Amino acid sequence: MTEPVITFERVTKRYGKKLALDGLDVAIPAGRIVGILGPNGCGKSSLFRAAAGLIRPDEGNVRVFGREPGWQTNRDIAYLPDRARWYPNLTVAQTFDWGQTFLPGFDREDAERLAAAMEIDPDMKIGGMSRGQEARALLILCIARDVPVVMLDEPFAGIDVVSREAIIAGLIEHLEDRSQTMLISTHDIREVEGLFDYTVMMDRGRAIWTGDTERLRAEYGSLHDVFRLLYRKEWKR
Amino acid sequence: MTEQKVGPLRFRIDFSQPLYEQILDQVRSAIAKGEIGLGEKMPSVRELAQELRMNPNTVMRAYMELERDGLTEKRRGQGTYVTASADRVRSFRAQLAERYIDSFLAQMESLGLNWEDVEAYVRRKRGAGEGGESL
Repeated sequence: MTEPVITFERVTKRYGKKLALDGLDVAIPAGRIVGILGPNGCGKSSLFRAAAGLIRPDEGNVRVFGREPGWQTNRDIAYLPDRARWYPNLTVAQTFDWGQTFLPGFDREDAERLAAAMEIDPDMKIGGMSRGQEARALLILCIARDVPVVMLDEPFAGIDVVSREAIIAGLIEHLEDRSQTMLISTHDIREVEGLFDYTVMMDRGRAIWTGDTERLRAEYGSLHDVFRLLYRKEWKR
Repeated sequence: MTEQKVGPLRFRIDFSQPLYEQILDQVRSAIAKGEIGLGEKMPSVRELAQELRMNPNTVMRAYMELERDGLTEKRRGQGTYVTASADRVRSFRAQLAERYIDSFLAQMESLGLNWEDVEAYVRRKRGAGEGGESL
């Protein structure tokens, strides 16, 4: 087995009294599409922020390719934060210009191909877009990069069905013939569970189940069912 | 679980079972039954992944296994085709039948049944299926 690309060792992070990560232990294997799953507030976003070096753990270690996260390791990571927004006065084409100048590994041709596949007009201004269109444009800016790791935090949250479908189709299109590691968090796995070949189930700042999604299916059934079973308590509140 | 048609192939995917084996089994039986004909073009990995909303790696692994079975072949730059050899499909079907029989017999054995019992059950079942008495 190859070295994991990102590792968390007993990582704890507190915000005041709230424990966001509570001794998180997890290793993300290379070249997989990893579903980071769990209810809202279970620590998914904190995991991403720690991997991007935006927060420092209070205890424990985070490593990206064996190094401490920071601007050097971020060259190798394309990260789409939760609820990301973009400059309203820029068009999609200008956004891609920006990407070409500032984002390591940005592939303009790939971005334009994805924009066509996801029905995003290059001349449209971000400010005139629906939430779903803006989410699609930002997803393209993030994934059209030739970098070893892509992290998407809740890319499907709060967007319309059409955009959701377009994003799933765009991801599948993008994934073919690529050996990128992709981390995708979601609290709603309908329609996307077929994408994940590795799964990290999180609850209250910890990973409660980690492994091959096919093994999870063989042992427990569909992700959707496991999800409902594991988090029923959360949903009842 | 709904049926999805992709080109000449039909799939019923159950997300509570491993996906790779389902694709493999369902394509194998489509070829064995002749639902997709000799020498016919298979859907591309991308097309199948899109239609089934699945990781292309999972589809790719199933396609590689079909190639190892000798049921399909890749043609450079053109995609994947079902083998043109009727013999190969026939011998694969025979192999598959043998495998199913083995597992059936193993299950019967685990119930403590011998061959005479199995034969009697199967005969009775067939009779029932043709309008005879039920089990």
